[in-house]
Amino acid sequence: MPRRKSRHEVGSLMLFALPALAIILVAQAFPVIYSLVMSFRNWSLASSLTPGGFVGLENYAKAFHDKVFLNALAMSIFFCVVATVLEVVLGFILAYFTVGESMALRVARTILILPMVIAPVANGTIWRMILNPQYGLFNVALNHIGLNSVDWLGNPSLALCSVIAIDIWQWTPYAMIVFCAGLSLIPNELYDAARVDGASRFRILRSIIIPYLVPVTFIILLFRIVDSFLVIDAIYTTTFGGPGFSTTSVTLYTYWQAMRYFNISYASAVSWLISILTLGVASGLMHVQRKVQLSIMGVKS
Amino acid sequence: MRREHSVLYVASRAVVLTLALLAVIVPFLYLFSNSIKVEAEFRATPPRLIPSIVTFEHYRNIFSGNGHIGAYLLNSVIVAVIVVVLSVGTGALASFGLAKLRKRYRSMAFVVYLILLVRFYPKVVMLIPYFILMRNMHLLDTVFAVVIAHSSICIPFVVWLMIGFYEEVPIELEESAMLDGCNAWMRFTQVIFPVVLPGVATAAIMTAILSWNEFLISSSVVAIHAKTLPVLLSSYISDKGVNWGSMSATSVFIILPMFIFVLFTQRYLIRGLTLGAVKG
Repeated sequence: MPRRKSRHEVGSLMLFALPALAIILVAQAFPVIYSLVMSFRNWSLASSLTPGGFVGLENYAKAFHDKVFLNALAMSIFFCVVATVLEVVLGFILAYFTVGESMALRVARTILILPMVIAPVANGTIWRMILNPQYGLFNVALNHIGLNSVDWLGNPSLALCSVIAIDIWQWTPYAMIVFCAGLSLIPNELYDAARVDGASRFRILRSIIIPYLVPVTFIILLFRIVDSFLVIDAIYTTTFGGPGFSTTSVTLYTYWQAMRYFNISYASAVSWLISILTLGVASGLMHVQRKVQLSIMGVKS
Repeated sequence: MRREHSVLYVASRAVVLTLALLAVIVPFLYLFSNSIKVEAEFRATPPRLIPSIVTFEHYRNIFSGNGHIGAYLLNSVIVAVIVVVLSVGTGALASFGLAKLRKRYRSMAFVVYLILLVRFYPKVVMLIPYFILMRNMHLLDTVFAVVIAHSSICIPFVVWLMIGFYEEVPIELEESAMLDGCNAWMRFTQVIFPVVLPGVATAAIMTAILSWNEFLISSSVVAIHAKTLPVLLSSYISDKGVNWGSMSATSVFIILPMFIFVLFTQRYLIRGLTLGAVKG
């Protein structure tokens, strides 16, 4: 192809990308940069309608002394670790039992993925009713068999467990279908060969299934660690961060600072802190994945 | 996977699947039954999953008086439809260009990387600046503000998905079109786009779900007029009285369309939901 034509080609391909890039520029790139700038200034809408002067890292320093923020950070990390681990484990168990092409298994899979396609705020609402201290399904059932009511969302440590359970209910299906996709990639010949060799079910699990599932496990971890660390919707409609601050996640806390108190600079700084943390963990995870992938491939070949 | 199953496997599968299915079905059933239950039966012991009297008063309630759900339902539908058209349209176009450009130019590969990054950073970062931007443009509390925000989240998803689909298209297909003298636009519309229609369907389904369910950003730029259903539902948390009837009926309106969606689009849906896990 002549050189000039090729350059023309590049131009039109760029043109293709333009509308999408424009939207992202306006609604993502601009806000992100704006918030970075604001995080170094001093602006609270409560005291002034225009941004104040630059204060360096003051807003960031403030976050490290903010007990409520640090508490939210600890809560989010705990939430993220517990929810992710349980979702991966439960998701694997479900996938192990639902993989297959029979009609019954297909129907079961379809039903099991329903929680993950509904709005997290609706998920929260459902569980808010089920866990209601007086009339909720759980407590009425407990009373019926002669046990006392439990205040699932009103007791600080129990509330935390409850919101974690709600997250697990909604997102275990994600781990399940990704594992299912991973399992269906394993060639049948491998199973046949293993069986000819007289391998036990446990041995097949350990030597074929688990190594094959390592790459998809990293994908699940990546998405679930990031999304559960940044949880807000389901908490917003169940506990609203309470009782006290026991279920206040970093996102919910930042949301309050931003949309309720209009501490623009401080909220920006906090949101950048959690961005750095999130992206750091995500890229670290991808780095580990690459290493693990290479070592598995080395073993296989 | 084809293999003979041991008794132990079949038995444990029956137990695990029964428990899992119950755990999924009972909450939904409970929600639905609450939406058609009379007030008094909310606190019946033993709890009733099947109401003894069926009433539609809660649905009548949410469709009447102050805070009529109809307007918000319409908002949600309008937003979802525009977001699907806008983000799948621009996203499919952009990823066609980027899929090729990123191989030729490192800078373009970096642009793709930045677009995908949108999926991973916390969306709270953009809340205030986007709010201020919309305020300065006098677009607060408009469907437009919600649509642009949703699209900016959906486009990265579409790009990620569609690049995978474009890369599966055999290169010969495009080369022969090039020899026939087709320019980029003609190749896209007449040769490539028809081939990647399954990808477009997947992208449309996923963006519809994302937009329909989105809460965080919508809630920060709407006040009264442009509320979507999730924002409306979240406002029930501040109600002091337990208004379970309206709460459940509204939730059913948010959930049911997604169930129907899943039923009819399953084949495409799975690929969208497992994006990134399996090549593509």
